[in-house]
Parts: sequence; structure tokens; C-alpha cells
Amino acid sequence: MGGTDRISAVTQDHLYCEVAETYGPPLQRLARAYEADPEARRDLLQDIHLQLWRSFAHFDQRCSLRTWVYRVAHNVATRHVLRQRRMRKKLVSTEEIEVEIENMPTTDRRELIANQNQALDRISLLIQRLKPIDRQIIVSYLEGLDANSTAEITGLSAANIAMKIHRIKNVLKRWFHEGASHAG
Amino acid sequence: MPDEFHDAKKLWQDQPMEAIPMSLDEIRRKAHKLLRRAQWAALLWIVIGLALSVAFAHTFLQDHGLLPRIGWGFLTLWSLYGACHAYKWIWPGNLAEDGTLRTSVDSYRSELERQRDYALHIWRRSGLTFCFLGLAFVVLPLIVKALATPKLLVNAVPFFVLLFIWFIAFFFQRKRGRQRLQREIDELKALASEGQS
Repeated sequence: MGGTDRISAVTQDHLYCEVAETYGPPLQRLARAYEADPEARRDLLQDIHLQLWRSFAHFDQRCSLRTWVYRVAHNVATRHVLRQRRMRKKLVSTEEIEVEIENMPTTDRRELIANQNQALDRISLLIQRLKPIDRQIIVSYLEGLDANSTAEITGLSAANIAMKIHRIKNVLKRWFHEGASHAG
Repeated sequence: MPDEFHDAKKLWQDQPMEAIPMSLDEIRRKAHKLLRRAQWAALLWIVIGLALSVAFAHTFLQDHGLLPRIGWGFLTLWSLYGACHAYKWIWPGNLAEDGTLRTSVDSYRSELERQRDYALHIWRRSGLTFCFLGLAFVVLPLIVKALATPKLLVNAVPFFVLLFIWFIAFFFQRKRGRQRLQREIDELKALASEGQS
């Protein structure tokens, strides 16, 4: 192995360690957004970490480390979703889910929500029904990223992101209002 | 109304975390394991392809009819093609440099395009032309022979009818799947161009 390769490998390891420490919890949450089954989620998370470590061999600072990490993580998770073909057919966009919740009879909605014991499970249930791009936007929103950062990660326009976030907020509001009324 | 419903962000960010070991050693071990697994899977297909080609070539040498021999020849070619195909397409290579680094829309779209192209070219990539030609040449003489006893052919009718229905349903479903993929690809293209402008 040449000198340059050695330096590159050290940098790669160093970057990975830094990212694993800083972005460990967000990556775990991201995996939860893409996979409901705990065992499969563990595998997905390991795969994300593995691909991140590999990707750092090519890290050229053309974007920020955070954007890089989220892009790689979302892309690996998207591939994971696409592999489950049967699941993929049932995925919907934020717009579709908004209409669906709007048209769903209140009793049905309450029943669906009541089946999810924890509030976190309710959010996860909602996210896991979304198409990958919409899922990325809602996860970025929940992680506290602004519209510009999300636009940089996804490649969508900031205006488009803002519109989607507005819809997501509406959906979450309705979803949780029903859950809260039911719990109350 | 419980407070947690007011702040989905807080709820999401405060969720309990599992302790999952992700040390460098763990990552390297996993990379090594994945590579080995992928190599074994490719090797398995290569061995199956080669074993089939030997079996078909053996039958080719044993058979004396011209048409069946052509059929076994095609099947031998098909299984050899399968073995080469496994080496070319399944054998694990290096991660494409930009494979994981594109924007999410680009990456998602290219995955969908890959799936669409795979479905479009599956006939050519799997060498199914060789396979069906071979089967046709092997089965044709048997059908010709069966013409002498039409009762045999009548018995086989339900099988061929079911096969025909399966083919129609298969192609119809594939066409629908391709159209759905194409719709989603077009939507993503529109979104991406909006993002660039």
C-alpha cells in the first residue's frame, strides 16, 4: 500500500469515527423511519454505517459532512425499501396520505391509531407508509433540519420542501389530534 | 391532551436508543462478511450453470435425433451463458464512487430506472432465447410423435391452456409494473428539474 493510500485510509477511519459519534442517534432514528422490524432495522443500520465508512474513501468536501452523511444514509435506506417490492406498492405520497386521512371515517382513524400503543409508534406508522422522498423530508423535518439543508440533501427545491413540510405538519396535527382525543 | 402530541419533533428526537455496536472493527468484519457472502452466492450460480451445462452436453452426446440434439445444444449454451452472466453481473465489485453520494431524488430515480431496465432486458440478460429455443427443439419431436395418438395431446391441453394464461397474466402484470415505475420516474424527473431551476 502506498503512502497516499495509507493517509486516505486513516482519514477514512477518522471521519467515520467522528460521524459515528456525532450522527449515531440521528442515524438510528432514520433507520426506524425506514424499517419497522427491529431485527431488519439493526441490519439496515449496520448497512448504513458500512456504506458511510466506504463512502469516506471518496469524501472530497464538495458538500458539508452533514449533507454527505444524510445523503448516503437516505440513499442506502431507500434502496432497502425498494428491495421490498410488495411493500413498495403500498407506499403513498404526503399529498395522498393527507387526502386519505381527510376522507377516512373518524371511527376508522381512531381505531387505527388506538392500535398503536405509543405516540412514537404512531409517528413511525405514518412515516413508514410514505414514499422514500416524502419520508426523507419528514425525517429531516423531525430532525430539525431547515428547508435549505433538506433541499441540499434531497435535490428538491426549497420551495417544494416548504410546501411538503406544510402538508406534513397538517397530517401530523390531524393524526395526533385524533390520537389525543381518543386517549383523552 | 398529553403534551407529547404537541411536539412531534421532540418526541422523535427523544426516542430511546438501542446500544448497537458500530466500532471500526465491527464495520470491517461486516464488510468482509458481506463480500464473502456475495462471492459464495455468485459462486453457487456459476457452479449450478456449469453443472447444468455438463448435464445438457452429456445428453447432447447421448441423443441421436437431430432436433433434440440441437435443443440440448441450445440448453448447454444457455447454462454456460448463465455461468458467465453470474460472473459478470453478480460477482461483487467495488462500490461505485457516486453510487451513494448523489442527491436523494437522483439516487431514487436511478434505482427505479435500474429496476425498469432490468425488467425490460431480463429476456436478453437471462439468455431466455437459448432456453426456450432449446426446450422447443427438445419438446417438438415429442409433440410430433404424440400426433399419432391424439388422446395424449387432448390430455395435455389443460396444461398448455394454463401455461398460456400464465404467460398472458405475467406479461400483463409486467407491463403494468413498468408503467407504474415510469410514472414515478417521470414525477421524480419533474421534481429534480424544479429543484435545479
